[in-house]
Amino acid sequence: MFDTIIIGAGPAGLSAAKVLQDNQKVLVIDEYYHAGGRLLGQLYEEKKGKWWNGLKIAKELILETENKSEILVSTSVYDVEYDNNYTVHTTAGVFEASHLIIATGAREKSTPLPGWDLPGVMTVGAAQILTNFNRVKPGNKGVIVGINPLSMVIAMELGYADIGVAKICMPPRNIINTKSPKDAFETLLSLGSSAPSKFISAGVAVADKAKPLQQTALKLFPASGVKALGLPISIKEQVVTINGKNKVESVTVQKTDTGGNPIPNTKYDIDCDFVCISDGLAPLSEIGSLLNLKHVYTESLGGYVPLHSKNMQTELPNLYVAGNVTGIENAKIAMLQGRAAAFNILGYKGRLSDTLRHIDDERKNAKVKFHTDLIAGRAMLEDMWQLQK
Amino acid sequence: MTERITKHKILDDLELNTVSFTWNNHVLYGNEGESLTAALLANNIRKIREHEKDGQPRGMYCNIGHCSECRVTVNGKRNQRACLTPLVKDMVIEQQFEVPYVVKEGSPYV
Ligand SMILES: Cc1cc2nc3c(=O)[nH]c(=O)nc-3n(C[C@H](O)[C@H](O)[C@H](O)COP(=O)(O)OP(=O)(O)OC[C@H]3O[C@@H](n4cnc5c(N)ncnc54)[C@H](O)[C@@H]3O)c2cc1C
Ligand code: FES
Repeated sequence: MFDTIIIGAGPAGLSAAKVLQDNQKVLVIDEYYHAGGRLLGQLYEEKKGKWWNGLKIAKELILETENKSEILVSTSVYDVEYDNNYTVHTTAGVFEASHLIIATGAREKSTPLPGWDLPGVMTVGAAQILTNFNRVKPGNKGVIVGINPLSMVIAMELGYADIGVAKICMPPRNIINTKSPKDAFETLLSLGSSAPSKFISAGVAVADKAKPLQQTALKLFPASGVKALGLPISIKEQVVTINGKNKVESVTVQKTDTGGNPIPNTKYDIDCDFVCISDGLAPLSEIGSLLNLKHVYTESLGGYVPLHSKNMQTELPNLYVAGNVTGIENAKIAMLQGRAAAFNILGYKGRLSDTLRHIDDERKNAKVKFHTDLIAGRAMLEDMWQLQK
Repeated sequence: MTERITKHKILDDLELNTVSFTWNNHVLYGNEGESLTAALLANNIRKIREHEKDGQPRGMYCNIGHCSECRVTVNGKRNQRACLTPLVKDMVIEQQFEVPYVVKEGSPYV
C-alpha cells in the first residue's frame, strides 16, 4: 500500500514525487525503460547561449527521487479502479494507494497521407528521441510534413546533429487536415524575431498593426519557401505522397496558392530517406477515461482534458492530474504542475499558491508556446470546474 | 547507412558499450541498453514487421510506445514494442509476418 501512486515519470510525475517523498510512501510508474518522459529528447536554446537540455534535467530529477521514491520503469498501467483507494493494474502487478496522480503526458497527432505507413516515416518526436536520446540518426536526408512549434524546434535539433532536412512543408489538404498556409504563417510569426528571414520579419513587423498588410506579406511569401532559422520552410508547398518500395525513397511535392489549393502541373519529387509527420500534440487522457472522469474538449489545450481545478484536483477524491494530460504546454509548466498537485495533497496552502503564481508567470513568458489562446482555454476550464461544484 | 551520433555540438559524447544480439538469426551489434528500434536502425534495418493482414513492410513510427507499429518477437515472446525494449546482450529478436486470417478480402467472412 502506497500513500501516492504517480502514473508517468515525466517532468510532472517526478516533480510531484520530489515534493511528496519526504512525507509519503510514493510509487512512480512508467512504461518507458528510462524515467524522464519527453524531457529525454528536448534540446533548445532559450536565450543566446542558454540551453534547455532536457536529458540533463531528467537525470537531475531522477537523482533527486530514486532513493526516496520507488520508480518502476518498463511497466505499463492498463487499468485503474476507485473504491475508497486506487487500485492500479500494471504489467508488473497490482498496486494500491490512497492518492493517485495522473501524469501521462501527451501523444503526437499525425496527418495521414498516401505512403505514411512505409518504413522510414515517423513522427517528429520519434526523430527527436532517436537523435538526442538514442543517438542514432533517423536518416541522412529528411522531409518534415507539418509546420508547427514542435516540428520547427525538432527540425533545428536535427541540424545540431548534422542531419539534413531538405524541406519543411505542409501536409495535403483532406477531410482530416484543413490547415492552410495562413495557419503556418501565423506559427512562423509567433516565432517572431528568432526567425530571421526578411519575409517573416516583414510579417512580424505588421502582425499586430494591420491584418490586411499581413495578408500581403503572406501573398509575397515565395512559392518555393524561405530559409529561416537555417531551415528550408515552405508554406505554399504540400507533400502529396510518400514514395518507396520497401522504405522511403522520395516524396512528391505540389505547390499551392495562398489558400492552400493545389496548383496543377507543379508536382515534383524530392529524394530522401526519412519523413517526419507532425500535426501537434494531444493530451494522453485514457487513464482519466477509465475512471469515468468528465472530459472537456478544449482546442487551445490540445483536445480532451479531464475536468480539473487550477489546483490540479479532479472530480474524484484524492485524484490529481499534472503535466500535459491537463493541456499541452512546455516541460517547465509540467514540473510546476507536478509540484502544485503534491502541495495540494500535503495540504501546504502557502506553497501551493506560490506555485500557482509561478505557473502564471511562466505561462506569460514561455519560449515554447504551443497555442496562442492557451490562457483563455485555462480560464474557461476553471469556470467549468467552479460551475460543476 | 544510418549513423550513430557519437559526438554532438551540445550534448555529451555518446557512451558506447557494444553487445551482440540476433535479428532473424543474423548476429548484429548494438549499444547495450538502447531501444531495439535504435539498435536495428543503427544496423540500417528499417523494416521490422510485415503487416499481419497484407504482409506490407512496417517500421517504427512514434518511438515512444504509443502506436504499436514496432512489434517484434523478443526471446520468443511475441508483440513486444521494440521502442520500449532496451537491448540486452545475446537477445534474440525476430520479425513478425503476415498471419493466416479469415477476415480478409475474398474470404466468405468479409
Ligand atoms: C514527442 C514529443 C516531443 C515534445 N517535445 C517538446 C519540446 O521539445 N519542448 C517542449 O517544451 N515540450 C515538448 N513536448 C511537450 C511535453 O509533453 C512537455 O514538455 C512535458 O514533457 C510534459 O511532461 P509530462 O510529465 O506531463 O509528460 P511526459 O513527459 O510525456 O511524461 C509522461 C510519462 O508517462 C508515461 N506513461 C503514459 N501513459 C502511461 C501508462 N499507461 N503506463 C505507464 N506509463 C505511462 C510515458 O511513458 C511518459 O514517460 C513534447 C511532447 C511530445 C509528445
Ligand atoms: S514505434 Fe510506436 S509503439 Fe514503438
